[in-house]
Amino acid sequence: MRSNRMGWALLAPTLVILAVVGFLPFFYVLYVSLFDWNPFSNQLGMQWAGVNNFRRLVFDGAFLDSLWRTGLFAFTSVTIELALGFLLAQTLVNSFPGRTIFRTIYVLPLVMAPIAVGATWRLLTIPGFGPIPYYLDRWFGIDFRLATYADQAFITVILMDVWHWTPFVTLTLLAGLTAMPKEPLEQAQVDGANRWQVFRYLTIPMMMPVLLTVIFIRLMDALRIVDEVFMLTSGGPGTATQFIGIHIYRVVVPKTDYGYGSAMSLLVLYFTIVLCWLLFIALAQVGKQRE
Amino acid sequence: MKTSTLRKTFGWIGLYGLWIAMSIITIVPIYWMIVVSARSRVELFDAPTLLITSFYAPNYIKPLTDPVFQRYLVNSLIVATSNALLVTVLALLATYALSRWRLPGADNIFFWTITQRMAPPAAFVLPMFLIYTRIFKIGDWTMFDTQIGLILLYCVFNLPFAVWLMKGIMDGVPVELDEAAFVDGANRWTVLTRVVAPLVAPGLAITFILSWIFAWNEYLFAANLTSVNARTITTGLAAFVSVTGTNWGEMAAVATVAILPALIFLVFVQRYIVTGLTFGAVKE
Amino acid sequence: MLKRKLTVVLGILVLFSMVLSACAPAALPAAQPAAPAVEGEASWWRTAAQTAGCEGVTLRGISESTPPSRYAADVLAKAFEAETGIKIELEATSWDEMYTKAINDMQAATGIYDFVYIEQDIIYQYLANNYLTNLTQLLADNPELASPDFDFAKFTTFIDNFKDAEGNIYGVPMEAFLKVYLYRKDLFSDPAIQEAFKAQYGYDLAPATTHAQYRDIAEFFTQYGRDNGLDLWGTTVQGNTGHASSFYEFFESIAPTFGVYNWGINMDNWKATVENGGEMNSDKAKEALAFWVDMLNYAPPEATASTWDEVAASFAAGRAAQGWVYGENAAWIATDPDRSRVVGNVGVALPPVAEGVMEDAESGVGYIGYYDGGAFGLPVSSKNQLCTLLWLQYIGQESVQADWAIAGSRIVMESTYDDPKVQEVDAKVDGYYTLMKEAGPLFRGAPPFPFHAALREVVQPYIWKALSGELTPAEALDQAAAAADAELVNLGYGQ
Repeated sequence: MRSNRMGWALLAPTLVILAVVGFLPFFYVLYVSLFDWNPFSNQLGMQWAGVNNFRRLVFDGAFLDSLWRTGLFAFTSVTIELALGFLLAQTLVNSFPGRTIFRTIYVLPLVMAPIAVGATWRLLTIPGFGPIPYYLDRWFGIDFRLATYADQAFITVILMDVWHWTPFVTLTLLAGLTAMPKEPLEQAQVDGANRWQVFRYLTIPMMMPVLLTVIFIRLMDALRIVDEVFMLTSGGPGTATQFIGIHIYRVVVPKTDYGYGSAMSLLVLYFTIVLCWLLFIALAQVGKQRE
Repeated sequence: MKTSTLRKTFGWIGLYGLWIAMSIITIVPIYWMIVVSARSRVELFDAPTLLITSFYAPNYIKPLTDPVFQRYLVNSLIVATSNALLVTVLALLATYALSRWRLPGADNIFFWTITQRMAPPAAFVLPMFLIYTRIFKIGDWTMFDTQIGLILLYCVFNLPFAVWLMKGIMDGVPVELDEAAFVDGANRWTVLTRVVAPLVAPGLAITFILSWIFAWNEYLFAANLTSVNARTITTGLAAFVSVTGTNWGEMAAVATVAILPALIFLVFVQRYIVTGLTFGAVKE
Repeated sequence: MLKRKLTVVLGILVLFSMVLSACAPAALPAAQPAAPAVEGEASWWRTAAQTAGCEGVTLRGISESTPPSRYAADVLAKAFEAETGIKIELEATSWDEMYTKAINDMQAATGIYDFVYIEQDIIYQYLANNYLTNLTQLLADNPELASPDFDFAKFTTFIDNFKDAEGNIYGVPMEAFLKVYLYRKDLFSDPAIQEAFKAQYGYDLAPATTHAQYRDIAEFFTQYGRDNGLDLWGTTVQGNTGHASSFYEFFESIAPTFGVYNWGINMDNWKATVENGGEMNSDKAKEALAFWVDMLNYAPPEATASTWDEVAASFAAGRAAQGWVYGENAAWIATDPDRSRVVGNVGVALPPVAEGVMEDAESGVGYIGYYDGGAFGLPVSSKNQLCTLLWLQYIGQESVQADWAIAGSRIVMESTYDDPKVQEVDAKVDGYYTLMKEAGPLFRGAPPFPFHAALREVVQPYIWKALSGELTPAEALDQAAAAADAELVNLGYGQ
């Protein structure tokens, strides 16, 4: 109907920035992933490797372990965040005295730098001066040593993520719940539906787009978590919390294995895209059904 | 009637119990950080007590009077604020374009830009470094260690998200409003700034806030793409992890200072978050 | 409404940043120790800077944020600027970040840094990649810029670590330490404790010279702490289960004392496994790892979360009776009451060794511990080679060494040991400097591996798993050695 030129002109600055600062490095990583390149190996410079780096990845036990661990972490923490976030969002829909204060306190972790979150939790959990090991030992007789027991480290990392990100989930779901039309719910209550039925057959379907969006965002960020965990456990004990982001960091940075690390990075990106693409399609489907 | 009252009472107890518990869980780690920031080095290993018994001011005074740290703080403010402004404006323009014109291929951009946020960041440090030092180069000037470098880089992480967030909200503004304004003789720019922008204001606010927080908090790239001039406060935290005993007290103090601006900011605008975060997914 | 609020918030932000920028130049840095005297306009340095056309130039360097580096940044850099008009910007950051940035810069030849911190263990990687400028050559080519106060011959033998095969020098040493055995003199000399110890173990309590004694002492004090309700354990362990520091403590401080040198790698054929002629999974190495992992039972609970930082902090907090601690911490632990609870109670000795190791060390075959340290080097990519050469000579003058030694407990020149100020501190730290001077040759830096970091990354997870109990020491070393063999082939060594 109108000239598209104006539209493209408005979009242009965004596209230029994304192309220059976003896609350029991406293509560079793609290029490097086709080479054997470690400045500290016996062969200096880049050696053509074709798809060899990708082939090696499939048999790399440490990489696959790390991938599996990341998946487990992301799935568990996002599930908990979603369940808890939904519960909390529902309590916040209706006004009650003190709601604003509670909500304000509750969103504090949202503004903290991931690296500061990691540092804070480290302060809490270091044996010797952190209160968590001290009180767990004193009250429950639990020997809490994050850097020795793999299970404790894994659970603590999940708890930290839940602490950091549930506020975001809650707020987003709350926004969705607030914007939801009230009539169907009232109608259902008049028709004698019980709470569970209302929740299961009305709230959930109506909230589906928001839920999928939240899952999308949280999953994407959980799969590439680095800062918090690096600060808390540095991936230890052993490799118990060495998620894929940390694994790649170790390969690319201290080990300077640029070629192999780039290949690893791209494969992970590919997995994430596939996963998110599926969610995205689901999102689009839900959108269509509603129209 | 009686059961209903009982149920209501229990409901209230449950509600407040839940929220008091959540507040405590939220506060304790932050509070502990402040406790540690008030301790001197020799007191660190004392038995954990949740009371602040003494206040060791040098933890705060030393970094706050250090010109280097002041510069970090200023850099953080400049980078975060400029980035958030830039992202908000660009997202407004971009989503307006996406929602008012049928641009072939633009829908895919919507998804593919999001993928920029998905990549594990470590492998992108070297490419960014090379691009900033070798390609963006005018004479001796390079983008490395400049505020503008960080501001542009953070667009990669913030813009896709912002476009996504704003797109749904923008779609919710009826085209008829634009057209009514055109009939009244307004031009495109007036429509965008006077008619559309006020209507999507909550979305703009949340875009600004989330972009600001991300830019303020980013660590990996800020650490590797700056040297002395454009370093941010978040990367300054790493300097405390040093050989002669990690200086936890001072680090906690800096971390406390670093979250303060974000905190003040959040308290001011947090109630608009709820109206802005809908992703336009729920339409009436 | 929303608009107004946003305006207010933005206004506050802008104001805040303006106020801060306004404050920034006004605030003065805290008082610094006395700087070396400036010689004035006609000094040799000023003339040299003019000759080389360096006035007004800014040199940028990167280093780990250690006390010696901070002294260089805060004191020496300012004195140098006053003397020559050359400005020094020294970026002091964390150990991991320092490497990433220095290597990125030198690898891409961007020339951001004019001088970089080279730790003794990474120099061979840098040399293999031709990252560094040959300082011997550069001085010979520019005799007019060679300061009369600078001479490579004045440094201790530590400078040998920064030489290539022909004896050319690539770094000016700025810090050097030993990883020594520290013990609590107040506890070791308490008559009641001495009596109890003798009653239990049948010999006199004294700093350990064998691993068996070390274990006994560790066990004794852990029990003593428990019995008396004290936060006291028998030993420190630098046993972080996610950080390279534990790898270093094992391979550089523990394994050598059991007679396993060079990380157990056979440097003739670049192999680690016993089958291929290496020693990484030899019985001696397994005994060493078993001993060290056992020490966790007598270490404070934070041991598995401790890097070199926290080990020093634990010892300074009085939580360990003895331990292996980096010497750079010895001085502040022994003398600084703001940071340490054991001021005046720190004893220094040589670490315990297995039979035959001392003889190995004396004959030069082996060593009894880690001689750590670093130098400032000049990247080939630097665009200010000659100006940096002046700065490197400036920090390599004899006259600046003593104050620097006191600020950072580091010594890189023979003459520094004899300085009265250093000797005064030496008395307070139980003769650490004397020990460093006399026993220094028994210690050694990391082996000359050009693949240092790559191999460490492969081996360290097994050490972490041994520390966390996921693997037994024997399993850990068997797997580590096999992985090391594979990685060395991958890196192009020992095909």
